[in-house]
Amino acid sequence: MPLLIAKIEKSERRIPFTPGRSLRDILDATESRVRSGCRGSGACGFCRVQIEAGKVNEPTPNEYTLLGSARLEKGIRLACQVMPEDDLRIVVLEPAPKSNWRSLFAEEDEVRRIKTSLTLREFQSEVEHPYGVAVDLGTTRISLSLLELSSGKRLAGRYGLNPQMRFGSDIMTRLVAASESQIQAQTMRQQVIEAIGEAMLDIATREGINLKIVTRLALVGNTAMLTLLSGRNYGMLLQPSSWMSYVDCLPQDTESWAVSWDIYPRARIEVIAPLAGFVGSDLLAGVVATRVTENEAGALLIDFGTNSEIALWDGQTLWVTSAAGGPAFEGSGTSCGIPAEPGAVYRVSLENGELDFAVIADGKVRGMCGSGLIDLIANLVKSGRLGKTGRFTSNVPGECFKLVEGEQNLYLTKGDVDVFQRAKAAIGAGINILLEKAGMGSRNLHRICIGGAFGQFLNVGNAQDIGLLPNIQTDLIELCGNTALAGCEWFLLSSEATKSLEILTEQVKIINLAQCDDFEDIFFKNLYIEPMAGS
Amino acid sequence: MSELTINRLLEALLEGNQSLAVVESRKLLENDVKPERIVTEGIESAMTQLDAKCTVEQFNLLEIMLVGRAVMEVMKVLYPTDGSPPDTKGIVVTGALEGDVHDLGKNILRIVLTAKGYRVVDCGTDCPVEKLIDTAAQEAALTIGVSGLITTVIPQVRQVTAILSERGLGHIKVMAGGAALKQATAESLNVDFVAQTAFDGVHYIDQILEVK
Repeated sequence: MPLLIAKIEKSERRIPFTPGRSLRDILDATESRVRSGCRGSGACGFCRVQIEAGKVNEPTPNEYTLLGSARLEKGIRLACQVMPEDDLRIVVLEPAPKSNWRSLFAEEDEVRRIKTSLTLREFQSEVEHPYGVAVDLGTTRISLSLLELSSGKRLAGRYGLNPQMRFGSDIMTRLVAASESQIQAQTMRQQVIEAIGEAMLDIATREGINLKIVTRLALVGNTAMLTLLSGRNYGMLLQPSSWMSYVDCLPQDTESWAVSWDIYPRARIEVIAPLAGFVGSDLLAGVVATRVTENEAGALLIDFGTNSEIALWDGQTLWVTSAAGGPAFEGSGTSCGIPAEPGAVYRVSLENGELDFAVIADGKVRGMCGSGLIDLIANLVKSGRLGKTGRFTSNVPGECFKLVEGEQNLYLTKGDVDVFQRAKAAIGAGINILLEKAGMGSRNLHRICIGGAFGQFLNVGNAQDIGLLPNIQTDLIELCGNTALAGCEWFLLSSEATKSLEILTEQVKIINLAQCDDFEDIFFKNLYIEPMAGS
Repeated sequence: MSELTINRLLEALLEGNQSLAVVESRKLLENDVKPERIVTEGIESAMTQLDAKCTVEQFNLLEIMLVGRAVMEVMKVLYPTDGSPPDTKGIVVTGALEGDVHDLGKNILRIVLTAKGYRVVDCGTDCPVEKLIDTAAQEAALTIGVSGLITTVIPQVRQVTAILSERGLGHIKVMAGGAALKQATAESLNVDFVAQTAFDGVHYIDQILEVK
């Protein structure tokens, strides 16, 4: 992968990149964004950078007009017009103001490819060429995208932390906080509404988009997030009896949201209802987007998160469960874990017995993100450093594996392996139990869709070696990215998707793992770091 | 001879090797080693070593479950009728209260207590407070162990001590543990002790006996 070295203010960043994107797009995926006022068409002239070393394409006509030949001779360019192919060293002359939001790319993944086959809604609107916004309200992260309603094209996307994180990173803590005080509940509700507005404003100012023509917004989320957003029935979710049944949590004041967001005043704002306390509309959206229930039997969808949702289609019934494995795959809960951000090891390979780390954005290792942790554990087992019960072998002195030693030490402790084993076992047990309920085995699976935490970095073979995924041919396993957001875009664009959702809700059967008699035994078997049993 | 084999049992237990542990304990019985001695020198000693290893940084659930399962199998070999010795140090009643259906943590406590010579009467999950107290009264329990993985059970936990004293059972100590409870203080939960781990809980119960 070619390397971009970008100097921004006083710091220097090393950013590996795949050719095919503009310099602005590459920078937009990092914390070092360049200023901008249009959608990267070379119209605003704000995104100025200076090329210090490396070969790039010739200046475009827009750059001659906006920069002039004197500047161009000094190597000053518009980042949106530069398409780097090889190693490059630049100075960002006009850094963007600090923002809580980062760009989400319109990756051409499987889910987006399928979408082209949808029939779009006919939009009757007082606005010409209206836009729509799809929102995935997650416990940790809020993601949204802005689309042209007539074509279904994604024009821009953003993601950022859910500000409710300050009240606690897990769902239960937040529900308890809301139940304890009306003021806290109101604050959490307001925080999310404001955050969505902030993300849209970031799109408006950076991409030069008029929010007044956003006439439609659809939102999906897990049930807890939706109760906190609507301010309704969050207390109910503290009762396990509500986990399996419908919880009314649709908001009743969406008109005021449109006003506060400064979008089209009569915009249609639709929050997609969850199915039960356990089954949020994020999972339903994921099922619709991956078309799991529209194809033959034997498809499995796993949406990884702190609570991972698992859905299995047997041709008639969609078996759904939620596995509370903790946040190890999202880069929390272990001493060496960090989210997938600059400095995170996202891939570990084994060469001649030595471990080789691939790091996001700059050279310095700060921690392991979910996909890196899976690779690390799989390779430690392969190289005889870690036993399948989670004990380090005599090859690893001190019962703790040293990842980085120096200024800042980084270790994988025995306790970290334990946290990892439990997270993995929760998912494995969930998959095993759903297969058992459906009277199926992994041999009946012909498709596995992976959504959520891992992005595109998950090494499927390693995930199978440690028993996180069933052993099926690796080309039957698809990395789908954010399936909840993709599905939400479908609801926004097509009435077909809404119909699929109606059919789907009739087919779901919810399983509570904690109430399965043999859960403890199955969980116990899945604690071993070895390929999943059964066929 | 028997000392050598008790050591072999001890090693098998610490390895979590269930089948080998069962073989070794059968051999010991055949050589007329008393079950009581196998418990103190084999099982209890394995638990003490596991306890020392299980600090927060070194904890491993699978390892504990493996040892635990091996211990429970050996107990069945030693006491075929009900898997625990006729004379016990005391009876501990455990349960997860109404609304809580999780019992993994509680099961680990049961294993550790059994291995240390206590008899555990488990009321299971989703258990009403009254049932827990009735059982403790019937069994003349030393302690009640309440497990909680979700915070909604806290109001029920707070009632336990009060109901015990109302019914003249104030001498029964109440101990709480589990993810939702271990962050709270004993005072705020109105219990006698909050255990951070299963071993922490057993230390507390040992201490009650010492005072007596």
